[in-house]
Amino acid sequence: MTSTSSKPGGPAVHIENLDKYYGTFHALRKVSLSVERSERIVVCGPSGSGKSTMIRCINRLEQHNGGKITVLGTELNDDVANIDGIRREVGMVFQHFNLFPHMTVLENLTIAPVIVRKVARAEAEATARRYLEKVRIPEQAMKFPGQLSGGQQQRVAIARALCMQPQIMLFDEPTSALDPEMISEVLDVMVTLASEGMTMICVTHEMGFARRVADRVIFMDGGEIVEEAPPEEFFTASRNERTRQFLSQVLGH
Amino acid sequence: MVSLLRNQKVRNALLQVLYVGSLAALVLAGIVIARRNLADQGITSGFDFLYKSTGWDVNFSLLPATANDPYWWFFLIGIINTLFLGTIGLMLATLVGTIVGLARTSSNELAQLLGRTYVDIFRNIPLILQVFFWYALITHLPTPRAAHEAFGMLLTSRGLYIPFPNVGGVALALAILAVIAAIALPVWLGRTSRLSQPFGERSAIQLIGAAAALACAVLILIIGRLPDEPFIDFPALQGLNLRGGLRIPPEFSALAIAIAIYGGSYIAEIVRGGFKAVGKGQMEAALSLGLSPWRVFTLVRLPLALRAMLPILANQYVWLMKATTMGIAVGFTDFFMIVALTINHSGQTLEAIGILMAGFLAINLSLAAIFNRINKAIALKGNQLRG
Repeated sequence: MTSTSSKPGGPAVHIENLDKYYGTFHALRKVSLSVERSERIVVCGPSGSGKSTMIRCINRLEQHNGGKITVLGTELNDDVANIDGIRREVGMVFQHFNLFPHMTVLENLTIAPVIVRKVARAEAEATARRYLEKVRIPEQAMKFPGQLSGGQQQRVAIARALCMQPQIMLFDEPTSALDPEMISEVLDVMVTLASEGMTMICVTHEMGFARRVADRVIFMDGGEIVEEAPPEEFFTASRNERTRQFLSQVLGH
Repeated sequence: MVSLLRNQKVRNALLQVLYVGSLAALVLAGIVIARRNLADQGITSGFDFLYKSTGWDVNFSLLPATANDPYWWFFLIGIINTLFLGTIGLMLATLVGTIVGLARTSSNELAQLLGRTYVDIFRNIPLILQVFFWYALITHLPTPRAAHEAFGMLLTSRGLYIPFPNVGGVALALAILAVIAAIALPVWLGRTSRLSQPFGERSAIQLIGAAAALACAVLILIIGRLPDEPFIDFPALQGLNLRGGLRIPPEFSALAIAIAIYGGSYIAEIVRGGFKAVGKGQMEAALSLGLSPWRVFTLVRLPLALRAMLPILANQYVWLMKATTMGIAVGFTDFFMIVALTINHSGQTLEAIGILMAGFLAINLSLAAIFNRINKAIALKGNQLRG
């Protein structure tokens, strides 16, 4: 098995001319993007613009049809060892949490470290409790996901990904399925994570979060990256007509 | 008075009284008429016949049986035969159904096609035709003198003969119990140690428990072997017939195969539905954590699919249990056939049918109760959001 652990230096994620088709539908058109270590990227755009597809390609939940993806120095191809290695180092948080409903919160958090990383159970549980503390729900460890609120479930999902000690975190619309009053509790955790230097790629419509945390904001439309700028410039001085239209709709009210 | 009749509570009570009263009158009338008709025909009703000897024999029994045995003993034999056939049939049907169901959910198009063809064919042919088909096929196998032979087993028109240890009946029963314990023990041990082994790792205790129970079974067989006989009894031709070994009669094989194949086609659809019901999101989350496809299957997909399948599966099992009554079509002495023979020979129709209904009710209610308990024990806690 190849060691994925990161050749030092080099970008965390490097995407070159990425193409993705669903049948005849061209979902991603020659997308290129390079993300440095510790960089925080926010990806936004109208629905169907390919933003979720792009980040799902990074851990091979979708197979790309053309172009090249390199994660932490390892190329993502048909080599199963490469795929496994990359998935170990890349955590993902989903819109619908996707916790395992038949396991307790603690089991959700320890399953991957114990089975994939071969960490001793006691150690895995100690780590899990530390991350539950970090997402501010240590008292829920023995509950089942169905007994938690949406915001709590999403924080468990973030903790679950963190327990694998990943180097990169992908967020796929983590607050879109939440009630408004629960959004901030999840965003707070993400802000803390960003301040600790985690490499993050977030698909989100939370423009306040983007303004506060992002190093770069990327706007996608029709399977292409339309614009790419630091948040200040992106929100105030966008050069692109489609970006301005999208922003007026998102920030409009 | 008028105001009392307009009172909702009084009205409801009155309706109840009317309903229960007419029901009681109906049942009472039925009993009176039945008793009079029976008396006219000179038939004594009652359950005394249970203690009389039958005067006829059964062709398949797990317990010793002769024509001198009383009716109640034959009913017991019938129930055990039904349970035996049902258990074997259900296990085989589950095996077939799981394989075909997985084939239908696989991404391999050839497997999908084979699975779909299987379900389309066997689900749409009546069970009784399938029973006759397999029975005809088996009884047209070669005679004992030209038997097909493989691994010491002989396949003939008189049944399948398999080598069998030469042991006493009690030892055999004990050995079977030990084998069941070998299967049940690891499950039970795993349940109690769930907190320390939540991801299905096999603990040493589980393996030791299973091994000890299996060793017990072998030991019981060795101690219980019949003296002056070879330990394993191989079937062999003697004159025109086969001697030795264990004979599985064609009637039993035909029914077991038919239930397995027909039931398998229904269970395949239940299995497919169960796997379809598992959210794609949970599997993606498991994959994104770096779990291998096999682990995703055993730790996430299968446990969640099982929860979706179980209630419908219980329904199907109850149905298949009742399908053992096809025994009468090919002459397998299941519970229903024993009841039918009893009616022919003793004339105690109402009592025999009453026993038949009570027997099946008891079997199927027990089955349903067991499944309800399992269902409740593994039910997902809290509200479920379908991702």
